[in-house]
Amino acid sequence: MMARLIEALAQLALLVALAPLVTGVIRTLKARLQTRRGPGILQPYRNLRKLFGKGMVIPETASWIFGATPWVVFVSTVLAGLMIPMVAAEAPLGLFGGALAVIYLLGLGRFFLALGGLDSGSSFGGLGSSREMTISALAEPAMMLAIFTVAIGAGSTGMTEIAGAAIGQTWRFLAPAQMFAFAALALVLIAETGRIPVDNPATHLELTMIHEAMILEYSGPYLALLEWAASVKQLVLMTLLINCFWPVGLQPTWFNFGALSGIGWLVTKLLLLACAIVLIETTNAKMRLFRVPELLAVAFTLGALALVSTFLF
Amino acid sequence: MPIKPLYDMQLGERIVTLMAALVLVLQIAMVAQRWIVAHIRIFAAQSFFLAAIAATIAWYNHAPHIYVVAALTLIVKVMLVPILFERLVKRVEIQEEIAPIINVPISVVIAGGLTLVGYVVAESFYRPEEPGLGHNALAVAISLFLIGFFTMINRRKALTQVLALLSLENGLFLAAISLTYGMPLIVELGVFFDVLVAAMVLGILVFRIRESFDSMDVSRLRRLRG
Repeated sequence: MMARLIEALAQLALLVALAPLVTGVIRTLKARLQTRRGPGILQPYRNLRKLFGKGMVIPETASWIFGATPWVVFVSTVLAGLMIPMVAAEAPLGLFGGALAVIYLLGLGRFFLALGGLDSGSSFGGLGSSREMTISALAEPAMMLAIFTVAIGAGSTGMTEIAGAAIGQTWRFLAPAQMFAFAALALVLIAETGRIPVDNPATHLELTMIHEAMILEYSGPYLALLEWAASVKQLVLMTLLINCFWPVGLQPTWFNFGALSGIGWLVTKLLLLACAIVLIETTNAKMRLFRVPELLAVAFTLGALALVSTFLF
Repeated sequence: MPIKPLYDMQLGERIVTLMAALVLVLQIAMVAQRWIVAHIRIFAAQSFFLAAIAATIAWYNHAPHIYVVAALTLIVKVMLVPILFERLVKRVEIQEEIAPIINVPISVVIAGGLTLVGYVVAESFYRPEEPGLGHNALAVAISLFLIGFFTMINRRKALTQVLALLSLENGLFLAAISLTYGMPLIVELGVFFDVLVAAMVLGILVFRIRESFDSMDVSRLRRLRG
């Protein structure tokens, strides 16, 4: 019991503390690749501290939803993070739900974020909410299909079982079904975290922005919570991707031997994935909004192929 | 005596399956692609993986003449044809995007459905008692064939139809190589010569269509011109 609690707390701390760092690393790498100096990898922490110290401006038209949104988004994202395997295959909250719970906790956060965008009463918020919902309605089926593909291999939708089945099969990701599912989930990752072909995370001065449009009216500590939640969500999805498909160095349990080596592997794999994301962001231009469904249709088709080919191969 | 990993048939099957899957992904990417130069490059990449599949099959079946086929694929389909087409694109100064008849998301989903048809058809050819590398590759080959046909129907511009035809030919090539482990070399040579000549002739034809109609849109080829 005690061990479980420590596990949960350790993963919570890792999740919350590591997330801004991942965002910072991606930003710095991107800046370097574009031969800019960049703000340094600790900048997201400084931003959060600054925002937490500031006052807030709340629109007059806003109801209680506006105030509740940052909390709901943050807590649901962190809870989803506790249900996925990070350092060990055993997820601390794995008993409370599997892959579906993770997807729908993230969905709950997104739902409230969209409500918050509408609630602020500004026209940009509504635009952002409608765009976010369009994209997530297309991204969610692709994500489900990809996760069901690995779930079939493991015989369970529990994340602990999924990651556990993958341990020891280092080259499993070379199987076509796994590869299709990986590609589908990678496309979903780009869409869900608002990365460049879909959304530009670096600016809130663009008419086609999605995530930034929804949180445009937020300021001070609420904005800090939302930004923190966004980077936690990014970390959760990245971890999901690498630990379901490429579980090198994942330990079966936290106290096996060396949770430290597990953390080391996690950081290495996250760094590699961050490099890939940076490359994609730098070499692609942002898509027009009406082109995004095409990208997600590709993700959906790949996910469907992955699921079907587990039966056919 | 343990089998050396490089001669292990199962590893060979895995590599071939993986690369066949990549070929399939590239074919679907071709359906989704809007820029003609990117389209040509995807075709080159697809042909490259085909050459790799041929080389792998040659290695595991100890059939040296398939290496020649792989090398020919590399020269003709990965280098010559794409260079030829990129030149053509430059010469006719194509600026606009590819305009498919059915919109891209639905086309991609249809391509996925055609892949399923490919798998179902290939299933009836499968004989578990005969060991071989070909099972999945055949399914992918039939899917390539079907998607290639679909892409040809779905495109208006002559050059993109030619590219779809060539990717359809890639499907035929994959089927041939995975079922028979290589036809006689003379047949392969003939096929490659065919492809090269077809690409050149179609290239000239596309250029002529463009010259006399100011467009590559084949739906305008309704009237005779003197």
